[in-house]
Amino acid sequence: MSKPTLLLIDDEDRILRSLRMLFFVGYNVRTTTEPGEAIRILREEKVHVIMSDQRMPQMQGSELLRIARETSPATMRILLTGYSDLDASIASVNEGEVFRYLMKPWNAEDVKKVVAEAAAIAEASFAVQSHAEPATETAKPRVLIMDHDEATAKTVHETLGDRCEIVWASDAQHAMEELAKQDVSVVVSDLMLGETNVGYILKTIKQLNPQTQCIVVTSFNDTSRLIELINQAQITRFLPKPVSKGILARNLESMLERFHLVRSQPALQKRQSVEPISNAQERVQAGNFIGMLGKLRARIGV
Amino acid sequence: MNNLNPPGESIFSLVIPIEALSPDVPLEEVAEQFADPRNARLLSLPVVENGRPIGVISRYQFMNIYLKLYARELYGKRPLRGFINNTPLLVELGQPLAEAAQHVAANMQFPLTEDFIVTRHGRYLGIGFVMDLLKAMEVQMRANTAELEQAYSQLKSSQLALVQSEKMASLGQMVAGVAHEINTPLGYVQNNVAIGQELFAQMQGVLGTYETLIDQLLDGNTNEEQLAAQMQIAAAMRNDASMQEMRGEMNGLMADSLYGIEQISGLVHDLKNFSRMDAAANDLANPNDCIESALNIGRNVLKDKVEVVKDLAQLPEIMCAPSQLNQVFLNLFTNAAQAMETPGKLLIKSWHDSDNIYIGVSDNGKGIPPDIISRIFDPFFTTKPVGEGTGLGLAISHQIIQQHGGSIRVESRPGEGTSFHISLPLSGDAKSNASALAALA
Ligand SMILES: Nc1ncnc2c1ncn2[C@@H]1O[C@H](COP(=O)(O)OP(=O)(O)OP(=O)(O)O)[C@@H](O)[C@H]1O
Ligand SMILES: [Mg+2]
Repeated sequence: MSKPTLLLIDDEDRILRSLRMLFFVGYNVRTTTEPGEAIRILREEKVHVIMSDQRMPQMQGSELLRIARETSPATMRILLTGYSDLDASIASVNEGEVFRYLMKPWNAEDVKKVVAEAAAIAEASFAVQSHAEPATETAKPRVLIMDHDEATAKTVHETLGDRCEIVWASDAQHAMEELAKQDVSVVVSDLMLGETNVGYILKTIKQLNPQTQCIVVTSFNDTSRLIELINQAQITRFLPKPVSKGILARNLESMLERFHLVRSQPALQKRQSVEPISNAQERVQAGNFIGMLGKLRARIGV
Repeated sequence: MNNLNPPGESIFSLVIPIEALSPDVPLEEVAEQFADPRNARLLSLPVVENGRPIGVISRYQFMNIYLKLYARELYGKRPLRGFINNTPLLVELGQPLAEAAQHVAANMQFPLTEDFIVTRHGRYLGIGFVMDLLKAMEVQMRANTAELEQAYSQLKSSQLALVQSEKMASLGQMVAGVAHEINTPLGYVQNNVAIGQELFAQMQGVLGTYETLIDQLLDGNTNEEQLAAQMQIAAAMRNDASMQEMRGEMNGLMADSLYGIEQISGLVHDLKNFSRMDAAANDLANPNDCIESALNIGRNVLKDKVEVVKDLAQLPEIMCAPSQLNQVFLNLFTNAAQAMETPGKLLIKSWHDSDNIYIGVSDNGKGIPPDIISRIFDPFFTTKPVGEGTGLGLAISHQIIQQHGGSIRVESRPGEGTSFHISLPLSGDAKSNASALAALA
């Protein structure tokens, strides 16, 4: 098997030289400081993984990754940035749909692991036709709302009410009971459900069922939490509140579509695989959550 | 207001406890009262019935009646009641001075012919002189003004504190920006060291293989087969292309790392320079250095957007607070960058004459509309969206330049750009330095 191709973009040459050496063994490494050149390479060559800086004079990394998503959908997208600003991280989720959001300075071993994982996933998805016919659905898709905001629930009902079963969870316990009954297709969640930080629930859901697509609608603007949710929950949308009805509706539609696609093409599921939970307390919460879920399911007989 | 006398007490101090007249006294007795030298200062006499003031008789009015022909005979025995003005000027003791004065001023007659009556809970207490009341009012107003001035200066100093804390906040932002800036060199330096470590481990392996080979060669007892095998291993290692290439690259990576470390120390140095928080302590410094320092710190903001053109003349050092001047320049550069919708140009000039240093900061940003240009130095004036601007940048800058005895002014053409002009006076020493510089040139 030939070596996977890794495309690196950064406006600092020294970063490129350094990374090139890190991946020298095992990869066909392409580097450029020009986003335009990167787009050309994506168009003409089979690229497994693209890893880009965020802040560059000609183009933001999230924008480059958005173009990469259209030009070469199978390529895995990673952002490697020294700036943890909120706008960049939101754009990297919503537009770049990044696999990982990595920070400079990085740990060489960790980055190697992430890239290796991404390369393997890309290899598998090259084999998949991305616009395959959705498999005939058996069960109605389920949408779980974890947000006390009525506006959110209303939009979800109006947009997907005719096609989906919609569950509006009032608290973490309720959400768990619903998840115990059956997996969900799309989760629409705030980051806080009353007093509960639901980060661990989102992370657990994605671990248990990679097909589930997570939309976060929230007024909490915490960049480091968002980055964590990208890497550990692979949320696919982050919509700052107040979110317009149209935008939420549009994103609901596309996430439902995404769910059908991923479900029909299990090879695509891996594209949204997550990192282990890093926060110790959340790990405990997630552990309890999974344990409880198991018991509930056993009782219900799922 | 708390250091003023309570208003009731100030009226109290004006009260003259004159014995009031009953409305039933005959007019001739009133004449006696007016004639009494103890009452010489009184313009009028109060008239009270059952403890309550019902009117007043003024000297002026009394004369008008009493000095008529035969008046004394005609009216002398008549009771006072028929002759009084029954709408006297009344002031209640508890009334605030200002309110009382206002009431009296509004209702008094010209020429002034009556005094006012002071009551307590509606009952007669005494009289007061209108002039005294107005004087007291004036005194209070002066006190109020002083108080206002004091409040104003307190406000100003608390605003200064606020400005200082804003300065800290924007410094915090800058520190965060620079910290991010450090992440890039830190990224490759750390990575290069990790690669170097790995390569070093490999090299140790190679070295070990060679050592074994040499040992075997020197040792007469090694047989041919063993030797051949070891040679093969060594040769394979030597021919490992990727290892060779990595070794070749390693020199470059080491050079990069040194460069990166230099960059990081430069940034740390800038940061230290910039934030010298012994801000009050003045120092001899060259304003050009402050400009450079601000450019370094602001690199983060300017980098992608602004082409910086410098035209800096040699300047003498001046006594100043360098970290504050840094702050001024950073504010100006940040504003310029924020005024640019597309990448633009920032021109920074400095020069001096025998009295002043001049610094010009010009951008080709969107400019400032004439209707707001007079307000841009006002604290909290901003046209930027919430969260982006506090409107303190120029206010702080103005304050700092003023404290240096200099001036800052603005000139702008909407659509074309904006220039800020700063002048800073040369101190005595600096002046002689300046002439020395001039002699050199
Ligand atoms: N170079 C410039 N070009 C155009 N407008 C400017 C420029 N400099 C200042 N202004 C105008 O003057 C206003 C006040 O500037 P100032 O630096 O005091 O506050 P700010 O930049 O809005 O906020 P802050 O500096 O506190 O972040 C700005 O909002 C802007 O409208
Ligand atoms: Mg400003």
